[in-house]
Amino acid sequence: MAGRSGGSSRSLLRIGLVVLIFGLAAMPQSAKAQAQDKGTALSQVQRLNRAPVNKEILRVQLPRPTVVKLKNGLTLVMEEDHKLPTVDFTMWIRPGQLADPAELPGLSSFTAGMLREGTEKRSSEQIANEVDSLGATLEASSRFGSSYTTVTASGLAMDAGKILDLMSDVTLHPKFPDDELAKFKQNEGASLEQRLSNPQFLATKEFKQVLYGDTPMAIAAPTKESIAKVTEGDLKKFHGSHYVPGNAILGVTGDFNSAEMQGLIEKYFGAWTGKEEQQEKFPEEAGAQPTKITLVDRPGSVQTFIIGGDRTIRRTDPEYYGLAVMNQVVGGGPQARLFLDLREEHSLTYGAYSRISTEIYRGDWQALSPVRTPVTGEAMDRFIYEFKKINNEPTPQGEMDDAHRAIIANFALSLEQPSQILNDWLTVQYYGLPVDYWDKYPDKIAAIDAAGVQASAKKFVDLDHIQWICVGDRKQIEDVLKKYGPVSVVDVTGKVED
Amino acid sequence: MIARWKRIALLGATLGTALGLALTGGRAVDAAPDQGQNSSARIKLPKLEFRDLKLENGLRVILVPDHSAPVYAIDVCYNVGSRNERPGRTGFAHLFEHMMFQGSENVGKGEHFIQVYNNGGGMNGTTNEDRTTYFEELPKNQLELGLFLEADRMRSLNVTQANLDNQRNAVQEERRQGIDNQAYGRAQLDLDNLSYDNFAYKHSTIGSMTDLNAATIDDVKDFFRIYYAPNNAVLTLVGDFDADEALAKVKKYFGAIPSQPTPPKVGLADEAHYGERREIIYDPLARLPEIDIAYHIPPGNTPDNYAAQQLAVILGQGESSRFYQHLVKDKQLASKVQVQGDTRIGTSQLYISATPRPGVKMEDLEKGIDEEIGALLKAGITPAELDKAKVQILREFIERRRSALYTAILIGNYTVYFDDPNLINTIVEKENAVTVEEANAVARKYLARDQRTVVVTYPASEEKAAAQGAQ
Repeated sequence: MAGRSGGSSRSLLRIGLVVLIFGLAAMPQSAKAQAQDKGTALSQVQRLNRAPVNKEILRVQLPRPTVVKLKNGLTLVMEEDHKLPTVDFTMWIRPGQLADPAELPGLSSFTAGMLREGTEKRSSEQIANEVDSLGATLEASSRFGSSYTTVTASGLAMDAGKILDLMSDVTLHPKFPDDELAKFKQNEGASLEQRLSNPQFLATKEFKQVLYGDTPMAIAAPTKESIAKVTEGDLKKFHGSHYVPGNAILGVTGDFNSAEMQGLIEKYFGAWTGKEEQQEKFPEEAGAQPTKITLVDRPGSVQTFIIGGDRTIRRTDPEYYGLAVMNQVVGGGPQARLFLDLREEHSLTYGAYSRISTEIYRGDWQALSPVRTPVTGEAMDRFIYEFKKINNEPTPQGEMDDAHRAIIANFALSLEQPSQILNDWLTVQYYGLPVDYWDKYPDKIAAIDAAGVQASAKKFVDLDHIQWICVGDRKQIEDVLKKYGPVSVVDVTGKVED
Repeated sequence: MIARWKRIALLGATLGTALGLALTGGRAVDAAPDQGQNSSARIKLPKLEFRDLKLENGLRVILVPDHSAPVYAIDVCYNVGSRNERPGRTGFAHLFEHMMFQGSENVGKGEHFIQVYNNGGGMNGTTNEDRTTYFEELPKNQLELGLFLEADRMRSLNVTQANLDNQRNAVQEERRQGIDNQAYGRAQLDLDNLSYDNFAYKHSTIGSMTDLNAATIDDVKDFFRIYYAPNNAVLTLVGDFDADEALAKVKKYFGAIPSQPTPPKVGLADEAHYGERREIIYDPLARLPEIDIAYHIPPGNTPDNYAAQQLAVILGQGESSRFYQHLVKDKQLASKVQVQGDTRIGTSQLYISATPRPGVKMEDLEKGIDEEIGALLKAGITPAELDKAKVQILREFIERRRSALYTAILIGNYTVYFDDPNLINTIVEKENAVTVEEANAVARKYLARDQRTVVVTYPASEEKAAAQGAQ
């Protein structure tokens, strides 16, 4: 889906047992049974242009929120939506995982994960019961690579007060009880172990490690050691220093009146105190690394999960628009080059895409696809072909028009998703973007021409610096991959294999 | 276990509310708690008004005007799923779904994606045991585009060997990505395979590599002719349009498509089996063990199935659920546990999936699960638990109703599964009608130990140890 990249983008449904296209995310049969790999006629993508298309792009304007800063420094972003009797709260609290001490990776996520496990006046079980009895949700997480912790709560509009009571209680007054921490550690350990069997997780973990070097952004998961080591004291310290109102933005969407909602939030969050911290700055780092391949050995893999990518820009960088359009052309969906090439024409994969990730630090761009093991080499050839093409050939005007239209016309769809709109406004608030950012966004996108796309490609899709990660069966793919650059091999924990 | 939950979530968890009353237009008020009032009954949803009619060629058309956002969604739901497949041709309904995007008389290969996404929309298609559904969401000024794309392929799908081979590969990669290259992939398939006797639901929707390799062009053409007829489909439109104008356009694009003979019916009954069925898998990709359990429950949209859905919530959804509190927190036998009831046209299932905490023996986790089920059968559920389940199911349904796309998909499903599009409005009454006594009776009747199927997965590294232990 042509969404606004860089933040959370809505992906169209992944429902049903088996689907046509599957946005890669989150989301044996013995090796003997193989699909045909040779001798199939090329299946050519074809455009007849007989379908009736309305040439006019339906332009919409995102409704503006009410933004208020409370006396204690908490910023409120409120967006009313009266279609259904529900309410949704989303709080972003700096600095998130980026503040994890080097010797305790995951501290921020442990803190977030433990918020619900007991407060000064409620036990973990009481919280669970109250939330479920309201039919509400209450979640806290601190994503690796994110510069903020997220606390969300949602439920029926008539329960807004009760929901805020619970949300404020866990955010402001968590107790981090020892016995709950012990249980939490057990589950974290099991969860980590599970993730190490997932090829996409392994690929992302290694990609971050390679790209972000010695910085906190290189970490994708806690370690067994950090899970074992973390104490109640560590959590209290992290919470005490960072969970302060000046570090936080609270977004609300749903069926309410803004003035009344502000009163309600002042009631539950008004007493929150603490010294605001300045947002961390990330210095410019040294130049790009020469291209290389990191092979994560996963014996028994029937696919190779390939990521090829590089560092890019900050969210606020004016080059964002060029990068967004370039990304749209190369891999922004099943209408884009990577999907049509690797899947529709060459039958190598179920899906191939690219995506942007930008933040307060210089993020990354990555192209990705899981391909069946025997065609690993051919898939690399196709990636390289597309990377060269976007660099060397100006994008034809038809594709430029398509990319513009895909992004701009998609805004209409967000008008039925208040959570998407709220996310857009939280992004503006968080990154200090201008108040009319989304009004101007379509024109900024439209202003990127073929030369702009090429310039973006030359900077961010530079084959001399692209970092490749291949998660698969070393025995089957190592020799093939040597053709594409120097190969180093690690196991699933990241340890070097000889 | 990803895929199954997603399918279920569409119907199961969202078979909730749509009480027909006006929006409260409410304000957030910090009301005093109202003790003793059924929480789920407090919720009011606007009634969805729609037109429901059939064209001469049998195409059922449901029109739901909704002017809250300048978008529309179109869903075409065909009454065919993997249940219609014969032995030797498993995976075919889903492979065929892929073929539907390979071009028709006036639409080229890949052009469907191109036209929808490049005009600001989104789309997908999904297949399960019971139905195949195709959907798009687009800005409201592209109504003709969506109708044209769906009608052209219903009428004139283009089938070539090259396209078939290409999409066969895509489907096989989908199977590898979701199942063969994932831990517990095989367990997903084996559970239904072992639990069902009727071939319809016994085999997997994704199909076997062998059968996928065997599919021929003639198979594709026959399948299209038999199942992809207007009289075997439901077209649902939800969004910002005028119903009369939309209907005229529907007739313009779909009206001339000829109907076909009614496809053969498939029997979906599965006898209760007496005697537990078990399987052990040694999985080279799994790092931790997992236990997966299935019980048969009645078909969807029956009072007993609604009760079973709510039992599933009570047992294992949300952190106040019994399994979470007792197995994960108190006894610390499990690091993870999920329970889900599904909704099918035929015999459905209630699934339990759990991971033992590292250091805990699988037998002890299984014993813990048995004790929990035993306690449920002995003492039953409480009114508070039942109400909690209803309000959770209901809230999820409200979220679905917000989206034109989800609403269109739900209505299409309700119509194909149960011949009842108005379920979008009546389902909340049906959920609310479940009583404590009914739920307890359903538990006693269906959650019986000797009527369940159990698949236990161990990491392959444990196979040697197990063999030695058995000596």
